[in-house]
Amino acid sequence: MIGKRLRFETTQPTEFVDITDRLREEVRRSGMRMGRLHLQSLHTTLGLAVNENEPLLLRDFQGLLERIAPEGAGYEHDDFTRRLDVATNEPVNGHAHCRQLLLTGFATLLVEDGDLVLGQWQSVFAVELDGPRQRQLALQLDGEFEEAPDRHRKEESATLVELELSRQLQVDPEAVAVPMRRLVEAGGKRVRPKLVQLTAGLGPRSEPLRAAALAAAVELLHNATLIHDDYVDESTHRRGQPTVAAMEGPERAVAVGDYYFAKATRLIAEIGNRDVTTTIAEALEAICASQIDDVALRGAFPGDHDSYLRVVRGKTAALFAAACASGALLSEAGPEVVEALRRYGDLVGVAFQMADDMVDFSPDSGKPVGLDIRQRVLSLPLIYASEDRTVGPEVRRLLAGSLGDTEVGRVADLVVSSNALDRVREEAQALVESAVHELEAIELDGLRPILISLARSAVDRTA
Amino acid sequence: MSIQLLERELERLESLWEDGLSDAYRSYLDAVAAYEPEAQPRLALAAALIEIGLRLQGLGGRAAAAPSLLMGDLCLARSSRLLAGDAPQSVQIAFARAIETLSAAAASGSSAPPPRTRELLLRAFEAR
Repeated sequence: MIGKRLRFETTQPTEFVDITDRLREEVRRSGMRMGRLHLQSLHTTLGLAVNENEPLLLRDFQGLLERIAPEGAGYEHDDFTRRLDVATNEPVNGHAHCRQLLLTGFATLLVEDGDLVLGQWQSVFAVELDGPRQRQLALQLDGEFEEAPDRHRKEESATLVELELSRQLQVDPEAVAVPMRRLVEAGGKRVRPKLVQLTAGLGPRSEPLRAAALAAAVELLHNATLIHDDYVDESTHRRGQPTVAAMEGPERAVAVGDYYFAKATRLIAEIGNRDVTTTIAEALEAICASQIDDVALRGAFPGDHDSYLRVVRGKTAALFAAACASGALLSEAGPEVVEALRRYGDLVGVAFQMADDMVDFSPDSGKPVGLDIRQRVLSLPLIYASEDRTVGPEVRRLLAGSLGDTEVGRVADLVVSSNALDRVREEAQALVESAVHELEAIELDGLRPILISLARSAVDRTA
Repeated sequence: MSIQLLERELERLESLWEDGLSDAYRSYLDAVAAYEPEAQPRLALAAALIEIGLRLQGLGGRAAAAPSLLMGDLCLARSSRLLAGDAPQSVQIAFARAIETLSAAAASGSSAPPPRTRELLLRAFEAR
């Protein structure tokens, strides 16, 4: 049995916070294969619900709650003259308590094969009824857990990175730390730090604390780039939380991104290995150059396969490759190991991005379908669908015009009806096999199965 | 110092050279005089790229539009690579701290006068 707290911040008086991804991540991290995840709200004005994450439907739910328990409808709870021990900051929130009575304060979700059992349209919501506030849910995971020795090693490494991230974010000025904490604590797959830590165990100088410091810095750097990306893409949410640009404004987003870019490069410089510093700096440069190309290519949306690969190699794969190479360099592994891992990281990074593109068409992802289409983000399934003999002409025509809900939905349907997703899946799987092949010629001290499993899990996912 | 020496380092940033980068570059040359001669142009360029990059992004003022922000990001990343290749560890750290100071001040929204970028960067060279 594992007990945890899930903390988050709400931004609206009434808000449906989709916590599905975070719960999935908790299950994955726990290693539970089969069992139950128990959830309990620790507040009297925060409910729980399992329903469909469709924005108009969420407005319907909000309307329903407002009709049944309208604000200011003469609740006795709000008559402070008749209550005892009323705090000075007691809110007028009788309506919120009454609305909570209509929801539930606890839920049990089933877990099978290491994942939540949810129907195609089901998402899990924490329902804020008296926000904005800091909130927490109690979680208990109860069932059968993986017991492989590798899992304990992975768990210890992951804990070190989380501790290091937490430590670094505690010492920063609040103006930058608060938004970054929100982003970091909202989850994320932590693939890059995992790659650093795994590869940092390969050479003769294996030091877990130095590896965790590098891994945390790489994760901060990744998140810094996301903050600027979200501003550029005009994204309002990431990992179920408002983006820095949406919540604190673009000026703060620029500053927070810069701060953590600088802090991450400083933390890496402080490790004192020039090869590592250079490897990460080169990757960062590739990311930034590709971002410029990515935006430029939106004029020729959806682009072509070659342009896609060029952008993705920089935008995503460069940091995967650098994470692998820098971990190995830190442990003073031989050059043939470093270079093989760099190639492995590059291939896995491209495959990871392809899988990410496919998630945009998955109704099970917990994110709105077609976000990439709406934001005109480079996407391989779209490129393949636009080249398809049957659906291609209509896809190209729709993408050339303005993209409202109807057009986005139609394009998504066309992509799903074509063989574009199958082609992308096959291509991603082939890249993973090439990545695995890169590992064959080098000595990996028992890490080969973990790296293979990590590569395969990069594409076998729906979120 | 000839621009030819820096050709590779200016790739994709050529348009900035006439638009303030060359002036910024020249203003850092005295500060790098004590460094190895072959490293001097790259270190001066690294500082100039930070100064221009932050300006392009609109740090401390109105946030720049996406293309300008991304160009600013590339300036900072290029600078980071140049410093990783040619600056001692203490100077790399001092430059990073300078950006941390500037961006933290910008994020705070304080009415106090913001730190001066060029002064901070010139001081960073003294960390050698």
